[in-house]
Amino acid sequence: MGQLIAGSLRGQRFGPQNLVLGLAILVLLVLVAYPMLWLILGAFGVPQDLTLDNFQRAFTRAQNYSALANTLQLGFGTGLLSMAFGVSLAWAVARSDMPGRQIIHLLVALSYITPPYLTALAYIILLGPDAGLINRLLRDVFGFSLGPLNIFSMNGVIFVISIHVFAFTYFLTHSALKSIDASLEESAQMLGARRWQTTLRINLPLVAPAITGGVLLSVIDSLALFGPQAIIGMPAQIVFLPTRIYATISSYPPRWGEASALSLVLVAMTVIGLGLQRFFLERRSYVTIGGKGVRSQTIRLGGWRWALLAVCALVVAMSAAAPIGVLTLTAFSKDWIAPLSLSNLTLAHFGTALFSDQVAARGIYNSFRLAAGAAFVAMAVGASIAYLDLRTNLRGRNVLDYLAMLPLGLPGTVMAVGVLLAFIRLPIGVYGTIWILLIAYSARFIPLATRSVSATLRQIDASLEEAGRITGSSWLQSMRRIVVPMARPGLLVAFLLVFIPAFSELSATILLYTGGTETIAIAIYRLNDLGQIEVVCALAVFTIAVVLALSAMVHFLSRDRTAPSEGVG
Amino acid sequence: MAFIDIDGIGKTFGAFQALTDIQLSIEACEFVTFLGPSGCGKTTMLRTIAGFITPDAGTITVEGRVLSQPGAALPPELRQMGMVFQNYAIWPHMSVFENVAFGLRIAHVADAEIKSRVARILEAVGLEGLARRHPGQLSGGQQQRVALARSLVVEPKILLLDEPLSNLDAKLRERMRVELKTLQRRTGITFIYVTHDQAEAMALSDRIVVFNQGRMQQQGSPRDIYEQPANLFVADFMGLVNRVSGEWCGPAQVRIGAHVLDVTSAAAIRIGAVTVAIRPEALLPVTTALEGQNLIEGVVRESVFLGNIVDLCVDIGGVELHVQADRWCTLAAGDPVRLAVEPAECVVMKNE
Ligand SMILES: Nc1ncnc2c1ncn2[C@@H]1O[C@H](COP(=O)(O)OP(=O)(O)O)[C@@H](O)[C@H]1O
Ligand SMILES: [Mg+2]
Repeated sequence: MGQLIAGSLRGQRFGPQNLVLGLAILVLLVLVAYPMLWLILGAFGVPQDLTLDNFQRAFTRAQNYSALANTLQLGFGTGLLSMAFGVSLAWAVARSDMPGRQIIHLLVALSYITPPYLTALAYIILLGPDAGLINRLLRDVFGFSLGPLNIFSMNGVIFVISIHVFAFTYFLTHSALKSIDASLEESAQMLGARRWQTTLRINLPLVAPAITGGVLLSVIDSLALFGPQAIIGMPAQIVFLPTRIYATISSYPPRWGEASALSLVLVAMTVIGLGLQRFFLERRSYVTIGGKGVRSQTIRLGGWRWALLAVCALVVAMSAAAPIGVLTLTAFSKDWIAPLSLSNLTLAHFGTALFSDQVAARGIYNSFRLAAGAAFVAMAVGASIAYLDLRTNLRGRNVLDYLAMLPLGLPGTVMAVGVLLAFIRLPIGVYGTIWILLIAYSARFIPLATRSVSATLRQIDASLEEAGRITGSSWLQSMRRIVVPMARPGLLVAFLLVFIPAFSELSATILLYTGGTETIAIAIYRLNDLGQIEVVCALAVFTIAVVLALSAMVHFLSRDRTAPSEGVG
Repeated sequence: MAFIDIDGIGKTFGAFQALTDIQLSIEACEFVTFLGPSGCGKTTMLRTIAGFITPDAGTITVEGRVLSQPGAALPPELRQMGMVFQNYAIWPHMSVFENVAFGLRIAHVADAEIKSRVARILEAVGLEGLARRHPGQLSGGQQQRVALARSLVVEPKILLLDEPLSNLDAKLRERMRVELKTLQRRTGITFIYVTHDQAEAMALSDRIVVFNQGRMQQQGSPRDIYEQPANLFVADFMGLVNRVSGEWCGPAQVRIGAHVLDVTSAAAIRIGAVTVAIRPEALLPVTTALEGQNLIEGVVRESVFLGNIVDLCVDIGGVELHVQADRWCTLAAGDPVRLAVEPAECVVMKNE
């Protein structure tokens, strides 16, 4: 027998592959598992105590109880509205011959891309009880003495959140409708079914799981949207779980245990929702069997298509055109109360927002570097986890994958509580610095990067990397020369997918920032409190422009992502 | 000691036993083919040799150096082997030249030498003039050649090929078969080749190793394996075969219905029920049998003219035999027929 090879194996154990991937696992544990652990421990009173008091308080203290009730009401309301908006628009765009379908589709995407707290701000300008533009118009025309509409109400919150989250219902329903092959309907028609019978007996059962799944996703997202809940709910004294958690921690002294317990309640609601959503979407699988070459039937509406267009246009006008329009208009107005005229236009607010206002300028700078940092960390960790999951046989790799997806079920507020609890007592002193924001952002958006890189990696056959190995290159060389160059567009998409939400993040930031580490969202939030509406709008326009440009880039990159590998075995 | 020694290799994936006790020696310059149905573990064995899979049992030794043992495997890049993947695995972000030059660049070969070596190998595989192309602009056959050039340019001692021809159309497959064989003879590289196509295996190999369900069934020259299959699986897999139930009725005789056949067998115990395997082309319609041949009488049930052969279905009293006669055979359904068959063509196997 020849010499044994144990020596070279030992070299492998500490080789670059294990170092790189091990580091990623460590970062994932520190960023996600460690804060979650503290969140749970904190809810039970650790380290001072071990008790269930916090849970008791979470359900019995009047403010907590009403927050819980309000949150449920919010979820119910947004669910109904999302279904109404999402399904009707999806049907109109996917199946009818309504004119302007592409534009409606784009505007729905736009309402989703716009950060929801900016939509909320826009609606304060539009529907504020005294000075709201629409209210003033209604008063002028109909002679009401006050109001008549008031955004600062439960219905107001439900409305503003719905016109953001209905996009989930829309997109899932739209893709389900698109994936029903016309032959399924034609078969029913050949058997004598009428149009409405086909819709009811064939289409509806096929897309019902997608609709349910989409509505659930809308509801889950609505529960977590701190921005509108705070910006509209707080002045109206309507408290929801995220704003209640915020209040509990901002009180003096902060009631950590109670906040953790409330967070767990919110997580439980989210997790139940996600579980249900998964259950419904798995039943949807038979819709997608049709695959790519699906030909879908278009329904001719005759004159009715204009009526349908009017309805769809109204919805997207409310969700995208009006809010973005009014923010833009206000940003360029000397005084937002004054009537629209050429003499009232100015660029001064942009000067203030981008350069002279200390907080705003610092916010922009911080948001850029935090978003870039978090995007890089999330992309690196996400890529490593996706690689571990798809290309190695490491035991427990699915646990890691699950851990990387976990933050999807964690509202930003909850993530922030976990991160605070976990890092406030570490001697490394990240609390009160920009690092704690980087930690929270990276943790929060790791799932987006992981999912995206995973999709990219699935398109790169493992044999391409193995061909590099057998041709003599080490793991690191194969990564550098083969996998990374091929995955580059996908990695860039992952980077952007994290950068975009991180750039305008509010719900975790609000709990974690301090003087000096304000972000753009904090600047907007605080200037709004100070009543500097025009500067707020200038910042808002800037934010939307950045987010929109990057989203367009993602769209562009994703579209021809498959191009380079075309024609390969 | 042989060039490559595969000694007792076993591999499980979870609860699934993918390879069991693979025992094989391969000589230098040999062309060895792993043959078996899909899912039988051929690729797993090949990837274990390449170092992508660490075995659970057994060792792989090349030139006296242990490369794989349970729980430890020398990484692929240090094995100095080449591999051609089933999907070619051409890197789409590199030109043909860069694909082929990759291994040389990794080995820090000087630029000028890279240029000449790549040019030489591209010519050898018939790709001269395509160096600047990108993989997307190549046909399947050309990609195949790039994959070959890429693994050959670093002059490996062993080349592993995993179903390299399975993605090509039938005509091109035939041509590439010939080229592969020529290439192997000319370079003297040891080829370990995986396929599920028995015709391909026979055309190419010095030695065929038949796999089934993770176990080696038989190894030998194409002729051995075809003519003397070790079991019913191998007999079936290597081509059409009549499987006839019978019973030992003498030291070298088996009774099939009313007929008694002289047979060959490796079996030590010659009593009880057995199966006799007879290839359809070994059954010859005759008028008189030669000395020593078995003679079987029957009636033609069906006769189909296929061009190069005539396919007969012959009833020999309750049992139907598939016979491939030459194309001058004019027997029709209902005709009586006598079939002659050499005892060596009647291979007796245990019932399974
Ligand atoms: N990494 C793996 N994990 C689990 N099962 C595997 C893995 N690789 C191969 N197998 C299983 O082992 C068996 C043999 O596979 P393979 O060697 O690819 O067969 P083939 O002879 O077709 O090349 C198959 O049943 C396959 O599903
Ligand atoms: Mg295989």
